Amino acid sequence: MRLASLVHLASLNLRSDRRGTILNTAAACVGAAALVFFVALGMGVGQAARLLFPGDARLIEVVPGAVSLGAALGGGALDDGAVERLRELPGVQGAWRRLSLRVPIAASRAPEGVRMNWPPGFTVQVPVVGVDAGLVASDLQPGRRFDDPPAGEPIPVLASRRLLEVYNKTIAPAWNLRRLPAGIDLVGLQIPVQVGFSIIPLKTEEKVYDARLALAGLSDRVPLYSLAVPVETVRRLHREYGKSDAGYSSVVLELARPDDVPSAAAAVRRMGFAVDEGERAIAERVGLAITVVAGALALLALLMTALAALAIAQSLSASVRARTRDIAILQSLGATAGDVRALVLAEAALVGLAGGVLGVLIAWLAARGVDAAALRFLPDFPFRPTTFFQFPPWLFALGVGVSASAALLGALAPAALAARIDPARAIS
Amino acid sequence: MISLRHITKCFRDGEREVVVLRDLDLDVAAGAFTAVVGPSGSGKSTLLYVAGGLDADYEGEAVVAGRDLRALSARERAAFRNVSVGFVFQSFNLLPALPAVENTMLPGLFAPPGVPAPSIGQLRIRAMEALDRVGLADKASRLPAHLSGGERQRVAIARALLSRPAVLLADEPTGNLDAVSGEAVIQLFSAMVRDGVTVLVVTHEERVSAAAGRVLHLEEGRLR
Repeated sequence: MRLASLVHLASLNLRSDRRGTILNTAAACVGAAALVFFVALGMGVGQAARLLFPGDARLIEVVPGAVSLGAALGGGALDDGAVERLRELPGVQGAWRRLSLRVPIAASRAPEGVRMNWPPGFTVQVPVVGVDAGLVASDLQPGRRFDDPPAGEPIPVLASRRLLEVYNKTIAPAWNLRRLPAGIDLVGLQIPVQVGFSIIPLKTEEKVYDARLALAGLSDRVPLYSLAVPVETVRRLHREYGKSDAGYSSVVLELARPDDVPSAAAAVRRMGFAVDEGERAIAERVGLAITVVAGALALLALLMTALAALAIAQSLSASVRARTRDIAILQSLGATAGDVRALVLAEAALVGLAGGVLGVLIAWLAARGVDAAALRFLPDFPFRPTTFFQFPPWLFALGVGVSASAALLGALAPAALAARIDPARAIS
Repeated sequence: MISLRHITKCFRDGEREVVVLRDLDLDVAAGAFTAVVGPSGSGKSTLLYVAGGLDADYEGEAVVAGRDLRALSARERAAFRNVSVGFVFQSFNLLPALPAVENTMLPGLFAPPGVPAPSIGQLRIRAMEALDRVGLADKASRLPAHLSGGERQRVAIARALLSRPAVLLADEPTGNLDAVSGEAVIQLFSAMVRDGVTVLVVTHEERVSAAAGRVLHLEEGRLR
């Protein structure tokens, strides 16, 4: 039997049983809609979480151990020797130093190059951390340098990519400051600061002088509420203010593959250092929670699809029994057992395809509705996504494919039943 | 055209075995109009099902339209039913949900491999021609429920003619028809015989057997 003939006859049969066709299509539609909706939701929320916690799965942050018996027994300060030893660990591609600045820096004037309504007398303490250029090299704007500048030159800094969002959604509303426009190019912005000045009483250094920070780029490898400067700048400032450098605050290890993380972390601990799970652990826990919830919902949707397949199986079995004589007539006209089996399967496939297409459409519309409701009713918190869903093209194919496959699976038994009909007995 | 030799067909009714056809022999020449008459339950329909390749569970030898039916596989028997024979039943056996033209098209949808399969459009044209031949072109879009008994039987005949079979097997074709409709059906059979089709009718109606060139009596599973 040719495909065109098969589709023609299957369509006629489905049209003749409108009620059954509508019910079966609805069953397939519900399963496909639920599956596509929940998978899209899981992917969308996962994407939103990645924006909120953009941890690089290949990075681990090494910090001095909480308890140390001295370098002789391992651990101790994270000095240059320790950095070299960490760099030699298997799987480590880079070891990048971080050193927190212990000299206070404060900004009491608006950055230059951007229109802001800086309140009079408003001073912001600027947390600063020194980092190796290698850690943020890929985030530097072309032509920008990230090394300790000569005296009087602006100090290059990098800010967290998320700072603008946090500023616009929390800092600006709280302090009545003007929000910065979305997509603004902040690179090159210069911030006038006072080195040595602290807003905390008795913490201001004896020597206070004016300097400028120049934004050289934005990076996910910079802590959210800090500015990153070259580690050499921090060491210079520490020397200027007589601060001792007993060791680095932390060392970031960049590994070849995420799979290397557990073994590298274990090796770090054996050396007597600790691993700061911090944001990475939160990101992993959030990611795991999203994966588990999305997986459970997708499983529920698959269960609904399986139930749809059962409903289709039951409905088609009843339909085949009711059409025993009709099927026998087709056999008397030349239909083979294979033709009869194919006909029942084709009817199921058409129902599954129609249900799948309808289900995908409903899922997409429902997602748009949820997004619209979220936009209207949820507060404008930082990193609030514009959509909670992701619909890659393969997801549409998955919805239709799973629906059609489930319908076909449900039709296997009824198709076999139909193919076993004895035409002579059924007609007489 | 039809050659049945030593056909024996039994049914099992619980513990009891019922012999319906007993060592039956039948020869029908090509282009003949033959009627088999007999009382209800005499095995007339079973005889047709054997000759038409619908029933393969029998003893003996059946050669119809040059095909040895015992030697055919189930798939080949289906092709034989599609190409070589046409069936007409007492209860019309039209699919109730399909309009007359779609019912008439049905055999064309099952064209076996090796037989040129027409497109759906070509098939519709051929079905309309077949309906025109039985005088029902104007009722092609009607469902069987909206046709009279005689019209339904003419649709069934149009369907049987679609594949231009060599043999037409009719099982009580006028059993549910009034005198006028029955006469029209008999006239159609006679016209088909003139066109070279071999017609084998089983009936218990005198008006049908009177139109046939040869009448055989089926009694106790044997033809006399």
